[in-house]
Amino acid sequence: MSIYLPIAELSVNIILLLSIGGVVGFLSGMFGLGGGFLMTPILIFMGIPTNVAVATSANQIVASSISGTIGYWRQGLVDFKMGGVLLIGSFFGSILGVWIFSRLVVLGQIDTVISILYFALLTSIGLIMLIESSQVIRDRVRRKTVKRKIHYHNWAHKLPFKMKFYKSKLYISAIPPIIIGFVIGVLSATMGIGGTFILIPAMIYFLGMPTSKVIGTSLFQIIFVTALVTLLHATTTFAVDAVLAFFLIIASVIGAQLGVLAANKLRGEEIRALLAIIVLGVATKIALDLLVEPNEIFNITVIRALF
Amino acid sequence: MHFKIFLLIKLFVLFLISSASALVIGSDEEEIYIDANFSGKNLLVFGAFYSDPSQARDDKSDILIEVVGPSEDVVIRKKESFFGFWLNSKSVGFNDVPGFYYLSSTNEITNEFLNKNNIGLLNKKDTQLIDWSALNIDWGNVKNQKEKDTFYDALIRTKESEDVYRKVNGEIQIIDGNLFRSYIEIPNTVPVGQYKVNLYLIIDNKISNEYSYNFMVTRVGIEEAIYSFSKNYPLIYGLISLLIAILIGLSGAEVFKRFRKV
Repeated sequence: MSIYLPIAELSVNIILLLSIGGVVGFLSGMFGLGGGFLMTPILIFMGIPTNVAVATSANQIVASSISGTIGYWRQGLVDFKMGGVLLIGSFFGSILGVWIFSRLVVLGQIDTVISILYFALLTSIGLIMLIESSQVIRDRVRRKTVKRKIHYHNWAHKLPFKMKFYKSKLYISAIPPIIIGFVIGVLSATMGIGGTFILIPAMIYFLGMPTSKVIGTSLFQIIFVTALVTLLHATTTFAVDAVLAFFLIIASVIGAQLGVLAANKLRGEEIRALLAIIVLGVATKIALDLLVEPNEIFNITVIRALF
Repeated sequence: MHFKIFLLIKLFVLFLISSASALVIGSDEEEIYIDANFSGKNLLVFGAFYSDPSQARDDKSDILIEVVGPSEDVVIRKKESFFGFWLNSKSVGFNDVPGFYYLSSTNEITNEFLNKNNIGLLNKKDTQLIDWSALNIDWGNVKNQKEKDTFYDALIRTKESEDVYRKVNGEIQIIDGNLFRSYIEIPNTVPVGQYKVNLYLIIDNKISNEYSYNFMVTRVGIEEAIYSFSKNYPLIYGLISLLIAILIGLSGAEVFKRFRKV
C-alpha cells in the first residue's frame, strides 16, 4: 500500500512511513530528544528530496515538541521568560537559515552541505553519547556515584543587559541566550532539526540553568522555532509536504508516548549506547555517500516546468 | 474494427482529391489524467496511409511517429571529487527542452534524414550533426566541445533512465498494408501539459505527408489540489500544515495524560 506525496512527487509505502515515524518518535520519547536529527537523514535515504525532508521534519517537530512541552509545563518545569529570550535570537537565526538554504538550492549545493553538516552532527552526537553511556555503565559496575556541580559561574554572568530569570533562579546577561537561540534558529532552518541535543547542554553549561527546567524550556522554544521554520519554508522553498508530515506526525506522537513509557521501565545507559551506535551507523552511511564515486556523476534538476 | 472502415473511407476521399499519397490519423485519448494511482498508460495512435503504387519507388513507405511533451528548463550538474568528496561542480542549463520525447518508426531511419528534416532530439551519433543553435543552452563555465557533449549526453541519458525520452523501431503495426497502429507508452513520470503528436509518411526518403494533433496530460485528485494550493497560497498552506501539527501534538499530550492516569 503506497501513498503519493504531492510535494516530494513520489510514492512511498505507507507502512514504511508509519514505521519510520513511529521508531523515531519512540526514540525521541525515550531520550527526550526531538528526533529531527534522525528523521531528516532517514527521509533522504528513502529518496525524498533533501529540501522536502528538511522542511517537513521541521513541521513534524512542531507536533512532537508541543506534546512534550505540555507534559513539562504541567509539572511547572518550563521557564517561559528564558524561552522568550532564546526565541528573539532564534527568530533572526531561522530567517538567516532559510535564506542560506534557498541560496544553496539555487547553487545546487544543498545536498552536499546538508550531508556534511549531518555527518559532523551525527558523528559528534554519536561519540558523545557512546562515551557518556559507557562511562555511566563503567561507573555503575564500579559502584561509583558521580558528583556534579549545581551551578556554574562563567563569562555569561559578566556581560551587560542582565535579566532576572526567577524560574531558573538566574541573574545573567540576555546576550548568551540570544546567541544560543540564533545558532539553533540557523541549524533548525538548514537541517530540519529542533536542536534539543545542542540546546540542552548549551543551556546547562553556558547559561547555568538547572537541569530540571532545561528540557521543558528547550521544547517550549523549539515549538516556535520549528513553526517559524515551517512557515518560512512553505513560503520560500515550497518544500513542506503536508501529506508526508501528517503520517510522520501521527506515527511519531504515538511512538513518543510509547517511548516515554518504555523509558520508565528500561535502563537508560544500554539503550543510549545502542542509539549511539545507530546514530554512528547513519553518519557512516552519509559519509560513504559523499566519498564513494557515484555511478552517475551527472544529475538533473528541473527548474521550470509547466504546472 | 470500427475505425478501420471509417479511416478507409476517409482515405479514399483523400485519395480522390490528392492522388500520390495520403495520411489520416486517430487516437483514443485527447486527455490523459494522472491521479495518485496512475501507473502509466498506453496511448493508442492509429491511422491509415496510402502511397500510389503506380509511382516508381526506391523504398517502401515508412511511418514515423514523434511525440513532443511540454518544454521545461533543466540544469545538469556534474559531480567532481574535491579532496575525496564528490561535490556538484560545473553546471549547464538546458532551456526549453521537451519534458517528454518519443520517436517511433516502422524501420530504422537514418540520423541524416532526421537532421535534414529537423526532427529528433535523440539523433546524436555524430556530434558534428548536433545543431546547437536550435537549443537554448546556458553553458556556464563549460567551454570545450568535448565537455559540452558529455553534458548533452547526460541530459539524454537521465531523461532516458526516467523513461521520458525514448526512441524505438518496429513497434508500429501495419495492418493490410494501409492501416497502422501503435501504442505509445506514457510512464507515470511524465510532466503535465500539452503534447504534440507529429506523424510523417516517408516515401523514398522524403516526407510525403505529415499530420499533427495535440493531447493534454493533466494531474487530478487530492494530491494535485494540495500541490497547486501549496504553490498558489503558500502562507495559508504553511499555516494549515502548522495547525495540523499543533492539533495532533495537543491531542497526543491529552491522550497521553489520560493514559498515564490509568
